Amino acid sequence: MNQLPVIIFLIPFLSAISAPLVGLKHPQWCRPMTMLSVFAMSVAAWVNLWLVLNHGETRYAFGGWPISTALPDPPLGIEWVNDALASVMLVVLSSLASVCLIFGGPVTPKSLGKRAVLYYTLILLLISGLTGIVFAGDIFNVFVFLEVASLSAYALVGMAGGRALVASFRYLILGTLGASFYLLGVVFFYAATGTLNMADLAQLMTDKPELATSKAVIGGSTFMFIGFAIKMALFPLHGWLPDAYTRAPDAISPLLAGLMTKVALYGWVRVMFWVLGARDTADGLAQVHLLTLLGALGSLAAVFGALLALGQQNLKRMFAYSGVSHVGLILIGVSQGNATGFSGGMFYLINDAVMQAAMFFIAGAAIYHHGARTVDEIAKLRQGSRWLTGGLVILALSMIGLPPTGGFFGKWHIILGAIEAGNYFAVAAVIVATLLTMVFFLRLFVRVFAEQPASSEAPRVETHLAFRASVGVTSAAILVLGLCSDPIIKVFRSIASSAGL
Amino acid sequence: MIEHIVAGLQRPNFIVFVILFLWGIFIMVAHANLVKKLIGMYLVQTSVIFLLVTFSAKSQATVPILQGPDAVQSVSPTIDPDQYSNPLPHVLTLTAIVVQVATLGVSLALVKAIYREYGSLDEDELLQRIE
Repeated sequence: MNQLPVIIFLIPFLSAISAPLVGLKHPQWCRPMTMLSVFAMSVAAWVNLWLVLNHGETRYAFGGWPISTALPDPPLGIEWVNDALASVMLVVLSSLASVCLIFGGPVTPKSLGKRAVLYYTLILLLISGLTGIVFAGDIFNVFVFLEVASLSAYALVGMAGGRALVASFRYLILGTLGASFYLLGVVFFYAATGTLNMADLAQLMTDKPELATSKAVIGGSTFMFIGFAIKMALFPLHGWLPDAYTRAPDAISPLLAGLMTKVALYGWVRVMFWVLGARDTADGLAQVHLLTLLGALGSLAAVFGALLALGQQNLKRMFAYSGVSHVGLILIGVSQGNATGFSGGMFYLINDAVMQAAMFFIAGAAIYHHGARTVDEIAKLRQGSRWLTGGLVILALSMIGLPPTGGFFGKWHIILGAIEAGNYFAVAAVIVATLLTMVFFLRLFVRVFAEQPASSEAPRVETHLAFRASVGVTSAAILVLGLCSDPIIKVFRSIASSAGL
Repeated sequence: MIEHIVAGLQRPNFIVFVILFLWGIFIMVAHANLVKKLIGMYLVQTSVIFLLVTFSAKSQATVPILQGPDAVQSVSPTIDPDQYSNPLPHVLTLTAIVVQVATLGVSLALVKAIYREYGSLDEDELLQRIE
């Protein structure tokens, strides 16, 4: 069972390689094959989560090269860390990807034709790249997988052609700039310490406290953060996100919105707590007020993202901006420097992945059935089945943060953490962002429920089975995350204590 | 102040890196032509790789393959590390170049598709058409 992390990675990766070969003769087999491999991957991910929670974390050394930091020699091998945080992220990633694939059936662009084979190859490559980021225990490895995932994402955004091409080009330019900044950070770290292994870096930082405050490490972590900030669309650097998510094919938007930015945020959390060892003490990096700075950036992103969402007419664009706001909320949580804030932030990250996917499911289904692209047209949702309106209500409850949904417990712990840290500015930012989110959902609900129907005789449209399944699963997941928030938060608390919080 | 300048001049590779990196970003921001933006992007990526290469440069050093008398007694601790250059930065450079080439391939394909769709590569013109 020690090989499980690699097997989980190889399932989508090998299918990605074999998909073009299979598709050469039987293009129609590609979709079943993709779904099968992602389902198999999520089953393996759940098994992996159970194993890690019951038998503790495992570390995988590629090729059997030594990775232990206890030896006098530096670790030579490339390491994959399969700890509780990685396995939880992996379950979220693979399960959401399978739901996104179910949703994608009816809305896959018809114009693809024979290129559908490549489309599924890119989806599989995106998933395997994200899996690599989740597992990687080596900062250069993160760079490579980040680029594998990003390149697939650029191509998938541009797949539909037309306006999407320009959005995709902008995404590519900014994303590559982010990757260059990240690589620059890696170069700084390597020049200062001579190692790339995360555990070894953390060991060196604790052994030599002067290293953690040296200019090379501070500069390197700044560049690394800028790189991740572009990839996670943190507020002032979010320019690529709204266009890319609005114009991407409807089948791709939920996948990217749910996973891409969240995994980049996860990557930064890894670097921040497992390499730099950021915590609220008087030594080390606390001297440069890393956490305070991140909290301020997160507060800005939370408030301005929600404000920008409020001003949008296009439905998908509005949802994309609310994702910008939520990245800020998660960053507020993890930057409080205590276990409560950290577990709240990470719990909200899971919720946000599910909620973003659900939002774009509903937006995609509204376009497919009713041609509703703007906030005013959303009223047509009434002609549809109750699945979509019901999903929208549950989603809104969670986005605003009302019990018993997952969003409430995430925000609750973020606020508790901020109060514990005495950071009332962050508390205010969370509350303001919540109020703004409420306002923009009220805008939607006014149109869906309150206004008189234009033509009550309009025929009811039966929602497609794939949409019912995907919206149903995500709505159920939002409720289950809320009802089972206690054990999940406990898991995150134990993760926080292993990170030294 | 003077000593900072003197210290900087002793590391000309850093200065060249900073110039290349900022120049690349400037090209990306200032030019409206998409291909020119790509050139800027390429310059940014190359400058980071350049920094990585110059860090690992070592005078009078050779490839890390044991040669001469060392090869015979490779387990003995008498190997002089100053004679050999560190292979890791070179491996990182190679990987980064592969990533760079892949990025360039995707971006050129996108530019080609944009040109076929709109018949123009000027960003302002493209944005006007999209409106």
